[in-house]
Amino acid sequence: MRSLAVRRTTTLATAFGIALVVFVLASSLMLGAGIKKTMGSSGRPEHGFVLRKGSDAELASSIENRLVSLVLAAPGVARDSAGAPIGVGEVVLVIAAEKEGTEGQVSNVQVRGTTEAAFALRPEVHIVAGRRAQPGTDEVMIGSRIRGRFKGVDLDRSFELKKNRPVKVVGVFESGGSSFESEIWADIDTVRTSFGREGVVSSVTARLDRATNFEGFESTVETDKQLGLDAERENVYYDKQSEDTMKFVMGMGIVISVLFSVGAMIGAMITMYAAVSQRRREVGTLRALGFSRFAILTSFLIEAFLLALLGGAVGAAFASAMAFVRFSMMNFATWSEVVFSFTPTPKILIMSVLAGGIMGVLGGFFPALNAARTSPIEAMRG
Amino acid sequence: MNIAEIAARNVLRNKTRTLLTMFGVAIAIVAFILLRTVLDAWMVAAEHAAKDRIATRHKVTFVMQLPKRYVEEIRNTPGIKDVTWMNWFGAKDPKNEREFFATIAVDPKSFLQVYDEIVIPPDQIESWLTNRRGAVVGDVLAKQRGWKVGDRITLRGTIYPGDWDFQISGIYSAKRKSMDRNTFWFHWDYLNESAPLRARDTVGWIAARIDDPARAASLSQAIDKKFEERDTQTLTMSERAMNVSFLGMLSAILRALDIISVVILVIMTLILGNTIAMGVRERTHEYGTLRAIGFLPRHLVAFVLVEGMTIGILGGGLGLLIAYPFVNHGLGRWLEENMGGFFPYFRIENTTAVAAMGLAIAFSLIAAALPAYRAANLKVTDALRRVG
Repeated sequence: MRSLAVRRTTTLATAFGIALVVFVLASSLMLGAGIKKTMGSSGRPEHGFVLRKGSDAELASSIENRLVSLVLAAPGVARDSAGAPIGVGEVVLVIAAEKEGTEGQVSNVQVRGTTEAAFALRPEVHIVAGRRAQPGTDEVMIGSRIRGRFKGVDLDRSFELKKNRPVKVVGVFESGGSSFESEIWADIDTVRTSFGREGVVSSVTARLDRATNFEGFESTVETDKQLGLDAERENVYYDKQSEDTMKFVMGMGIVISVLFSVGAMIGAMITMYAAVSQRRREVGTLRALGFSRFAILTSFLIEAFLLALLGGAVGAAFASAMAFVRFSMMNFATWSEVVFSFTPTPKILIMSVLAGGIMGVLGGFFPALNAARTSPIEAMRG
Repeated sequence: MNIAEIAARNVLRNKTRTLLTMFGVAIAIVAFILLRTVLDAWMVAAEHAAKDRIATRHKVTFVMQLPKRYVEEIRNTPGIKDVTWMNWFGAKDPKNEREFFATIAVDPKSFLQVYDEIVIPPDQIESWLTNRRGAVVGDVLAKQRGWKVGDRITLRGTIYPGDWDFQISGIYSAKRKSMDRNTFWFHWDYLNESAPLRARDTVGWIAARIDDPARAASLSQAIDKKFEERDTQTLTMSERAMNVSFLGMLSAILRALDIISVVILVIMTLILGNTIAMGVRERTHEYGTLRAIGFLPRHLVAFVLVEGMTIGILGGGLGLLIAYPFVNHGLGRWLEENMGGFFPYFRIENTTAVAAMGLAIAFSLIAAALPAYRAANLKVTDALRRVG
């Protein structure tokens, strides 16, 4: 341990290199976890999610309005105290909105035409500013993550869904970090009339009595081939939606981390070779005193491991600070922007620090072997 | 023996270390080139976009269509040469549902006029024009799926429900790097007559060639103004502006890659600086001697800088040697074939290679600067007194 302190600059440089690697590795894993959390918490296993058969996203799906009540009447659908089924048919669209602070740059935002029933279905959705929109009006609510990101998309401001059809933002909601927080929620009829979607919905979501009731629900909804409907668990749907984006981010992160770690290992190797050669005499003495080759090898490996662990810990600490950064990215499945956050989990942090440690050990192995091979006689002579 | 030679010999002094450092620099250069190429591959869509093409879509959402009659109105706008229209079809191959490719309904004749970068053998064009169920597919897509001219295939619609039968009439390649070679083009008429009533005679977007690329912005405005008071308003943009706005949606990730590519160079500098600093420290005694026999501080600076630069150049060169086959033939080929929609063209740009080399040299000089400064400021007596 003390030998690390001797060559301060060199040690610091190496540790810093490993810190950067661990930082990048941890950050990309955290972003992956963030995407998973955002999309994963949008869908629940006890929700049945119905689209038109053949559609793989809400955007492409349209279901006749009369089928909504049919789906909600299927066995297994939970009912509230008044005996009404808990569920909702919604229209989902993507609109081009002008980004705040840019000159005419547009980006896609998802708009959900929904009803009061959405709040009963998704109790995690709660207003954090303003109030709920009045049903049947041109009032809308926005998710907290897109607040202020687009022109007019902020509390008490308004924007146009269609020419001369401005909608007013009356509330901002949160939903436990799910992707709904990157959406605009408007009244279903406002959306329908603005976009010529009269008489249809995009999807129907229903709460089930128990998550295990899904099979019964699914077979009822899909049995009548005339209806042309396809049921899925809601969480399965959202997992599929995020799959491509996630693969992309993780793939990128891993390729970069691997390249980085090779660099850091080389850095560690250089440092350790220097450490070994400077202490050749010392090592020779130790050998002469009767320390085994194995003991020498281990002592150098421990030195490298500690060095890397130190760097790793610093890297992980900085990566944790990324938790406050919001990362806006296009979801490849919906072509709309979703805002993700870096989500540090203990597992990711521990794993990245350990990965740093392993890099140190791998990088230190050959130099340590070199040291262990030292012949005491030669070392003490030279 | 001149000064440069001495410096070069110093490089060979500790072979393992020099080799490792070179390798470290090489890896950093590979990573740098890889990241820049990813960025370039994205920018390709914007940079190589046709300057004389504009596209008109629904103002608010791409989910909604424009009335077909808008095509004629745009054609009659002064300054417009050719016009064509398309619909996003969004179908999947039932045999392989997971792999995405674009399926788009076009009016073949005007389509080939407006998109003149598309290359199809003349006999295949002939048979496409006459076969209502005919489709042309990109060479990359055809290779990936094993489709050949004449094959009959069935696709399953996600937006337009049902199974749709097609026959491959031709396979296209492209003269322009920004053109996706993974797309499936087929007759708009075939889609229109089988589409549900409410979707009939509507088009997803309208693309037009214009006389004068410089007027793209004003023409776009003129078109949008024309439809301003109608039921359906439009948004018209040049192809380049459209691609740029698409990139805007990925801006966070582009920025992240940008930052990481710089971080790589910093790591490289650390490794390099480390090596050189060690070398200088080990040679303190010698430098003292050199100073004592009359070499000036600037000679010592030159020794160290040249040593650093040599490693930088060798490492950078090695990096380029690794990067070219790796990116252009391994990863790039794979990405073009599997993610062609996002990376239609994934190759190292010459400017990237030159920049990488230049940066390797620049950063190696920076890395050597501090050790060089230290060597130059050594007091002869201190250096000689100090025990190695």
